[in-house]
Amino acid sequence: MMQENRSKEMILEVKDLNIAFHDHTLPETVVVDVDLQVYEGDMLGIVGESGSGKTMTALAINGLLNRHDIQKKGEITYKGVDLLTCARNELRQIQGNDISIIFQEPMTSLDPVQKIGRQVEEPLRLHEKLSEETYKERALEALRLVELPSPEEIYERYPHELSGGQRQRVMIAAAMICKPRILIADEPTTALDVTIQEQIVELLKKLNQNEKTAILFISHDLSLVRKLCSKVAVMKDGYVVEAGDTEEIFRNPRHAYTKELIAAIPAIGVKEYEKKSDEIIVSARNLNSYYPARTGKLFGKRKKVQILKDVSFDLYKGEILGLVGESGCGKSTLSKVLLGMVKDTEGSFVNKDAHPQMVFQDPYGSLNPGKTIGWILQEPLRNFTDLSDTICEEKARNMLKRVGLSEELMDRYPNQLSGGQRQRVCIGAALMAEPGFLIADEPVSALDVHIQEQVLSLLKELHDQIGVSILFISHDLRVVYRVCDRVMIMKEGRIIESGVTDEVFLHPKEEYTRQLLRTSGFLDENVV
Amino acid sequence: MNLTYVLKKVISLMFTLLLTAFLVFLAFSVIPGDPVTTMLGTQATPEKVAALREELGLDRPFLIRFVSWMGSFLDGTFGNSYSYHVTVRSMLAGKLPITLTMTCMAFVLILLIAIPLGIFLARNSGSIPDRIMTVVNQTIMAFPPFFSGILLTLFFGLILHLFKPGGYVSYTTSVPRFLGYLILPAVAIALPKAAMATNYLKASVLKEMKKDYVRTAYSRGNTTKGVLYGHVLKNAIIPVITFLGMAFTDMIAGSIIIEQVFSIPGIGRLLISSIANRDYPVVEAIVVLLAFLVILTNFGVDLIYRLVDPRIRSAMEE
Amino acid sequence: MIQFLKLRKNFKAGAVIAGILLFMALLSLFWTPYDPEKMDAAHKLAGLSLAHPMGCDNFGRDILSRVMTGLRTTVVIAVGTVLIGAFFGSIVGSLTGYFGGSFDEIVMRINDVLLAFPAVLLALVMVSLLGGGKYNVILALGIAFVPSFARMVRGEFLRCKDLDYVKNARLQGAGHMRVIFVHILPNVMPVILSSVLIGFNNAVLAEAGMSYLGIGVQPPDASLGRMLSEAQGYLYGAPWYALFPGLILVLLILGVSLMGNE
Repeated sequence: MMQENRSKEMILEVKDLNIAFHDHTLPETVVVDVDLQVYEGDMLGIVGESGSGKTMTALAINGLLNRHDIQKKGEITYKGVDLLTCARNELRQIQGNDISIIFQEPMTSLDPVQKIGRQVEEPLRLHEKLSEETYKERALEALRLVELPSPEEIYERYPHELSGGQRQRVMIAAAMICKPRILIADEPTTALDVTIQEQIVELLKKLNQNEKTAILFISHDLSLVRKLCSKVAVMKDGYVVEAGDTEEIFRNPRHAYTKELIAAIPAIGVKEYEKKSDEIIVSARNLNSYYPARTGKLFGKRKKVQILKDVSFDLYKGEILGLVGESGCGKSTLSKVLLGMVKDTEGSFVNKDAHPQMVFQDPYGSLNPGKTIGWILQEPLRNFTDLSDTICEEKARNMLKRVGLSEELMDRYPNQLSGGQRQRVCIGAALMAEPGFLIADEPVSALDVHIQEQVLSLLKELHDQIGVSILFISHDLRVVYRVCDRVMIMKEGRIIESGVTDEVFLHPKEEYTRQLLRTSGFLDENVV
Repeated sequence: MNLTYVLKKVISLMFTLLLTAFLVFLAFSVIPGDPVTTMLGTQATPEKVAALREELGLDRPFLIRFVSWMGSFLDGTFGNSYSYHVTVRSMLAGKLPITLTMTCMAFVLILLIAIPLGIFLARNSGSIPDRIMTVVNQTIMAFPPFFSGILLTLFFGLILHLFKPGGYVSYTTSVPRFLGYLILPAVAIALPKAAMATNYLKASVLKEMKKDYVRTAYSRGNTTKGVLYGHVLKNAIIPVITFLGMAFTDMIAGSIIIEQVFSIPGIGRLLISSIANRDYPVVEAIVVLLAFLVILTNFGVDLIYRLVDPRIRSAMEE
Repeated sequence: MIQFLKLRKNFKAGAVIAGILLFMALLSLFWTPYDPEKMDAAHKLAGLSLAHPMGCDNFGRDILSRVMTGLRTTVVIAVGTVLIGAFFGSIVGSLTGYFGGSFDEIVMRINDVLLAFPAVLLALVMVSLLGGGKYNVILALGIAFVPSFARMVRGEFLRCKDLDYVKNARLQGAGHMRVIFVHILPNVMPVILSSVLIGFNNAVLAEAGMSYLGIGVQPPDASLGRMLSEAQGYLYGAPWYALFPGLILVLLILGVSLMGNE
């Protein structure tokens, strides 16, 4: 592969790139001494976590950091032109024409009030003077290139009428319409559902091979980059710490950070499963739940959308049961049903716990912003018990210690705490009522990776001490694998697969489960 | 799909109009003080009172009176005045166009000031003109229209002699002089709204400029102008439409006062004199008409919204 | 940070202006330079002087004294109006917003109809029905302001009731009333307070407009609006007669709106 590249022409070179923000008194450096070369038809990955400078590098290459408060040093050379210092109109000739870019959020990256066709044509209109018919023809061609069904119809649509995956395809179509030599893809699949993620990755691969467009693929996901890119640069804190042939780096990582990243790719070990108890805390049978949908008809009867379909399961005392699925699959509805918050439900469920509690995903929204931490922790006691104020306060202090926080936080308000601290408070508040059943709905998804680890450890530790039964809802298989005894996979309102965690992870029966596992980096051997 | 939506909206509109009329009628029916006593004085004999009540139809049950009143709206007479014994229509004749002309002039003024100024200030956010205009806008917003009306009269009429206070010219006499006289009152009601609209538009443009699609537009090689006029403006105007609709309805109400300041014989002056005369049928009719205008404006704003924002279009149809 | 300081600066400037005017209004309870009702033929339409810093009106009454008492009337009416509007509006808005359903639909449909009447028009009609005078103006304007407060508070409750902390409060055993008044309402307070400032200004405008039309406050209560209407006849000879009451109104509105700028 390396030999092959040498014969190719180098089309873009980044040399000693430094980027610093100047909006505060101290300049904040985000990219340091970055060197990159992009060869014709390359597939180059840039890997790093958020804040590593990978997106800034990408934006700089596309000329999107032309603001006065951003200081740039070094060179970005394309066809002998330094993109950092060239005239604005010279840069605009290249933007969208030779070098185009797609972003992480296809939802917000398209103009919401302009028709798709017009948006796909825009780069072409800006760079070439053609007839109206040709513009449309080329746009339709681009929409076909990204494999969108019925391009004529899509051409007349607005962004909100398309799904996330379709929108990302539209973004790619617009980026490809001028047949650029370099396409920068900044986390193009992160905001999409797993099934769609795979399709987009496939599409990018195809474009790279058929159209000979070099792709700069930026991602936080090392296993994804490994699947897609022949070469990779690993970034951390603004530096490129390691760069070269992807397989070579995987086999032989030199930098400590790369080693750490590779080690973090999950591997399935042997997980002992022991049934905690025969006592069933929550038992659901054939749950069906509906959501009212509006109809356009004047006197039409109200339609209902079925969210849950025939959901049955048992939760045993003291176990952690995982519920896995993508957003919109009905996970959160199930939790609401179990807490009695959804009226339109059929089927039966038995909940042996009088006061089931919940830990929510967003630690910023689940604590009352107007109350102190102490007040929040005591609220369940005020409502459920007749304990005196001093005892309540004492118990709140103890709980604060148990969740690993200092007593000083009693008088603080939620906005004075970090996300991890808040989530600890949420767990503490949930446990104040001494529930037998706790629902944890994506409890760590909103937290940074190393904070996730701490909160998970805490949850596990408290669980082992108290023996509370937990329904653990998550889309993140790595997290589920780490904490759950058993796991259920949910798709479109149905539980399609369930079993002991190791069983499901090692021997998935459903294709959908396999897909989920693949995108999370499990089952890597099946991909290569 | 589209037809059912419009039908649904129209039915809901009719219902709102009817409910509005009902509430007004109800309010005027439960008020303390009998219009008959007011008309005849407290010394009137019971026979006389009863006769007049019968003549005015006040002896009939409430709902019957409401229905016949609504009937007078359908045939366009709007009932009969207590004081002048003519139909309310003949009293309103020619007055509504005056008020509406003034309000529309003010509205056009708002657009002419706010749109260019809002865009200019957004593009030069933080510059010296922007800072000066922020202070100026804040101050202008604090001027009650009737006070700015008085100041304008003082300045243009008594100092510059460009304007003759009280010299209203009917549009039947001369349309240009009619319009000329309405300029100052229109300015007076437009100024604070124009200042607010400028602020709204500026804030909206600045907010939109931070969105992701703007980055996309730049990445395709657009100039700032191209981004602004090709993408941002259409998005930024959407929230401002609501404000403009509210400004329009506010100005309809505000015209009642400003007509007094400039002695314009519009619908507002008629309302005030009818209130003074306790001529309830006229007051009721004007109040209902003004409320209808407001409701129709809101309806229009809804339709414009649908034209401008495809997202609302489909959200409402599905 | 700079943005923050700038905002604070706005607030301070507004608070100083509004504070001075409020002080003037309060002071008028105990002391004014002259008796605001005392006529003095010798000083008819007298210009500005040390003895009469704002001049005198057509009856020779001291304008400064009259402005002070008029300002008091305006402030009392605006405060009363906003209190009525905010109190009842908050109750209606929180109950409908929190519970939703057909109760909400009916109340809000009526509310929307009431909102179709510009507040001034509604108040105008009510005062013409009830009769003028300070208390009727407060009542009329207060009722006219309820719908807009109700809609605003309802919107906030709609936003808040699906927040996780509210769901959590229910799970932790709080009853509906506790959730509404202990958990949600305090968090909606900042929004209500900023609407109170806007409402205050609207009330000042409405009251002044009504008095200008001669429908609002009746003599002997002094009123800035009526002073303006009387002054209009002497605009050429004594422009200060109109200028000072008007400027005081402008300053009051400016001060409060500066404070309300978040």
